[in-house]
Amino acid sequence: MVCPSNNPYRPIRARVEQVINETGNIKTFVFKPEEPIPFLAGQFMLVTFPGIGECAFTPSSDPKVIETIEFTIMKAGSVTAKIHELQPGEFVGLRGPYGQPYPLKAYHGKDVYVIGGGVGLAPLRALLFALNHEIDQLNKVVVRFGARSPQDICYKGVINSWGERKKTNLLITVDSTGPGWTGHVGLVTTILDENDIDVKNAVAVVCGPPIMMKFANKRLLDLGFAPKDIYLSMEKNMSCGIGKCFHCNIGKYFVCQDGPVFTWEQLKDIPEPW
Amino acid sequence: MTEYLLTTENLHNLVRQLIAEATIYAPINTAGRKYLEIVSPNNIDRIDLDGFRTVDTFKTAVFKISEQVARYFGQEEAAPIKKQVFLGIRACDLEGLSIGDRVFLEGDITDPFYKRLRENLLLISADCNDCGPTCFCTVVKGNPYPTRFFDLNLSPVDEGFIVEAKSEPGRALVDKYREYFNSPSDYMTREKNNNRREIIKKIANVNAAFHLRLDLTQTHKANLENKIWKTLTKDCVECSACNFACPSCTCFLLLDGAAGPAANSRHKVWDACLKNGYSEVAGGANSRPRLYERLQNRYHCKFDYSFERLGRFTCVGCGRCIDGCAGNIDMRKVFVELERQAPLTAKLE
Repeated sequence: MVCPSNNPYRPIRARVEQVINETGNIKTFVFKPEEPIPFLAGQFMLVTFPGIGECAFTPSSDPKVIETIEFTIMKAGSVTAKIHELQPGEFVGLRGPYGQPYPLKAYHGKDVYVIGGGVGLAPLRALLFALNHEIDQLNKVVVRFGARSPQDICYKGVINSWGERKKTNLLITVDSTGPGWTGHVGLVTTILDENDIDVKNAVAVVCGPPIMMKFANKRLLDLGFAPKDIYLSMEKNMSCGIGKCFHCNIGKYFVCQDGPVFTWEQLKDIPEPW
Repeated sequence: MTEYLLTTENLHNLVRQLIAEATIYAPINTAGRKYLEIVSPNNIDRIDLDGFRTVDTFKTAVFKISEQVARYFGQEEAAPIKKQVFLGIRACDLEGLSIGDRVFLEGDITDPFYKRLRENLLLISADCNDCGPTCFCTVVKGNPYPTRFFDLNLSPVDEGFIVEAKSEPGRALVDKYREYFNSPSDYMTREKNNNRREIIKKIANVNAAFHLRLDLTQTHKANLENKIWKTLTKDCVECSACNFACPSCTCFLLLDGAAGPAANSRHKVWDACLKNGYSEVAGGANSRPRLYERLQNRYHCKFDYSFERLGRFTCVGCGRCIDGCAGNIDMRKVFVELERQAPLTAKLE
């Protein structure tokens, strides 16, 4: 048995407080760690399902709340399948937070164009909490979110209220419509409009599946965004989370250390970084 | 710089003393080839510091093939650790070790398991006085004799070894066993320097067909989007021998134990960037789904990205990847082809 102090590979135990069904394959888990784990919006953590393994997720809760921490997780592989079986009272492990957060100070005085796709809304939810805390320093926050269908929209009970926050505007689109849907139908790129924001004084933040990020990024460049003003949350296979194991490289960068938030300026010379 | 003479007999005497206080890894001659073994009284006489590097790499003793790094969530106790000595480690393996040091010990977070082993490691290196057909340290700016990163270095001469003490632990060892270390004559130092010149010439001859005109980082950058990689990969069978044999490859995966004594334990296990699942995420997305993309990434990792991250190549020219390759891919031939392609593809800066 070996364990030097400050062991970065050892998770902190956290109790499952609540499980919220978001969609058919997405749940939000409220964890209470045995010691508080402060994080900044955009940073990620590794969630351990005991005996099975761990996966990287960005918390979806308000960074100002430190007693509990929430993750919105899609069932996609072996670890997330086990996580989806969790019930309140059971335990997981948490490591982190790791990586670079959204540089919120750089957004002060600007329009913030927040673009999400699918479960990519999870880290953006934490960001939107953080932006709302600093809303007086921002020009405005414009949220554009796409889901596959009305059933696939997360945070159903509260999402519309985000658009009612001070200086915040929200529009949701679905790829294909469903019963009772009266909103926009089409990919998220179809609702990105130059009239939404003052491109010359704005930053864009994108999080979603790789294919969505690729086309949203292209659309933003077409709208006139400078590469340095587009912030992308990159996802790669991650193991250690601390820049040692090399799994998550995109060219010379490690997503776990240099990211997960990158500007397009950093990535634009790398062939197919998605 | 103070030098000493250590006869072969006194080297064996020294090793007999060190066996009591440390685990010693040394090249042991087995049927004409040198493999790393733990030294015991039974194999001292087969320690062979002649020639060049061992078949296997020393990294295994500090970056273990599999190592338990956590047990959650109960209390954990640190196990006692025994001092290790790497005897006869060559310049290439020292460079490889120094790259591991940078990966595991630098940055905001260090790897405490590597650190513990590294802090209890004494490096007694040796000059090469021969080279193998796949040795190419000089092609990647290295030397066949250690100039840094060692505690003591042994340069073979007729009477035994000329010893150079580089570090405080190295000097302390000499002081502790002073009776084994004598003063060398000037002609012995001349012999050492002459041997070094000769081995440089020999490696140059072995690698005469791989003379490179361009900087390897620039050559790789120029070929970043060149489909020549498909051709260069055609004989690769994804066995990953190159990854595992490499003294500077440090990729690993964290694996959790599910049942029995391993339940809720976490192991740091060697991984290989050539494997298809290496970059795959849940749901099936893979940033390098094609083998040629993964082989190319391995080369860029060593000659392009490493230069940007660490300011150096992370290939040390030991040639083990060539020896181990099931497809007979020779890194040096890849260099030559990339250099031939470079002017045809992107502009060199």
